[in-house]
Amino acid sequence: MAEISSSELSLEARLRRLEEILARMESDQVPLEEALNLFEEGVAHVREAERVLAAAELRVEELLASGRTRPLDVDES
Amino acid sequence: MSDDPNLELFDGAPPPPPAPPRPKVWSVSQVNRAVRGLLESSVEPLWVGGEVAGWTRSRAGHCYFGLKDDRAQIRCVIFSREASLLPADPEEGMQVRVFGELTLYEAKGEYQLVARRVEAEGAEGLWRLAFERLRAKLDAEGLLAPEKKRRLPKAPACVGVVTSRDGAAIRDILSVVARRAPWTRVVLRNTRVQGEGASLEIARALEDLAASGMCEVIIVGRGGGSIEDLWAFNEEPLARAIAACPVPVISAVGHEIDVTIADLVADLRAPTPSAAAEAVVPDGAVLLETLRRANARFGRALAGAVERRRSAVDQRARRLERAVERRFVPARQAVDRASGRLERSARSRVERARGALSGLVGRLDALSPLATLGRGYAVARDADGHVLRSVADLPTGMRFRLRLADGTVAAESLGPAAREETQRG
Repeated sequence: MAEISSSELSLEARLRRLEEILARMESDQVPLEEALNLFEEGVAHVREAERVLAAAELRVEELLASGRTRPLDVDES
Repeated sequence: MSDDPNLELFDGAPPPPPAPPRPKVWSVSQVNRAVRGLLESSVEPLWVGGEVAGWTRSRAGHCYFGLKDDRAQIRCVIFSREASLLPADPEEGMQVRVFGELTLYEAKGEYQLVARRVEAEGAEGLWRLAFERLRAKLDAEGLLAPEKKRRLPKAPACVGVVTSRDGAAIRDILSVVARRAPWTRVVLRNTRVQGEGASLEIARALEDLAASGMCEVIIVGRGGGSIEDLWAFNEEPLARAIAACPVPVISAVGHEIDVTIADLVADLRAPTPSAAAEAVVPDGAVLLETLRRANARFGRALAGAVERRRSAVDQRARRLERAVERRFVPARQAVDRASGRLERSARSRVERARGALSGLVGRLDALSPLATLGRGYAVARDADGHVLRSVADLPTGMRFRLRLADGTVAAESLGPAAREETQRG
């Protein structure tokens, strides 16, 4: 549970998990206890995802032959 | 004209005077050199159209072939430098046009066309041919199969781009990503995207970027250009690198009309770099809306689960109630019946008991010593209450008590009386 709501989880994984949670919650067989747990988990994912989306600065790097990256400034004309 | 010693032969000058008939003899080399010079200097480079016959490629990379129509044939050669730029060797009988210069191969005395360019069916014929050949080859290996196509991530944290740092493609991609998904990290691997060897260079760049493990998806592309400019995207090295890439690859060659080999091998073909970026990153506004809706869906789903639970409980309660009723109705009836019987039987028993009791009471009455006493008997007892039954119990002078039907009197024995009296008493 701690792992699931951790902010280390990628946005991708989070969105996928959200889909799973919704599908499970919207199925007819989910027991109430599970629905409650899923609800909590889902809301946490939504909150984390929204936090990620709020980052407004695009990070652009260039991969060098050394295998390192350096920030890249591309003239956006 | 006669300044040129090579052309002396054709000067048309009158033959020398017959006197010493010793004709000038030319060596073969001289003749061929002269003819070669004549050909090269008098015929401008030209296009010649015809059918390809007997195309062969030497180990050095030069190509030899014949160009013919229904009545005639010209020997042609295209040297390795130009031949290496050909996208494909033409097929036998293919209608081509060849641009080159006429010359004479002095060693054989054969005149030939030294080709600079070979084109087929319009400008793109040979490209098309090379394309089809590579496509067939890759297809036979299964690299173009639809089931090879991988699904793109929905919201990659990091997008790789393989293109030229100076091209329009990277700028287009960045502006789309910045607009739609500014939380995304973009990593560029710079490469040349056209010219000789470009396909291999792009392939290496793709491999490097994939090997870095940073990206969940990679865009390989460039802006639009001529078919030659785009050719690197139709060559085998890049096709193989795309097929081997561990993460999904989107091809984005800015040429909407033609499909490249890279497009066919890639997991997704985008018509332009901008379109590739649109396909790779989600629209933040839409995503945010989806997240908000997800919250509402959670709420509804939870409410639904609660409602389902409640109705399940209700339903169970109703079922339980019915089950209990079903089981208890016969029991209650049995109880009713049983209690009726019980009551009846109890009543009759009480009555019977009452009857028996009154009988007993009658008998008890009959047995009571009082009744006997009533009939005139008396009971003699000593001071301790012991019944005195024998004459021997009553020595003379003993005081005792005599119980009669209506009371007790004190008495004293006067000793044994006459026999008859005793027997009667």
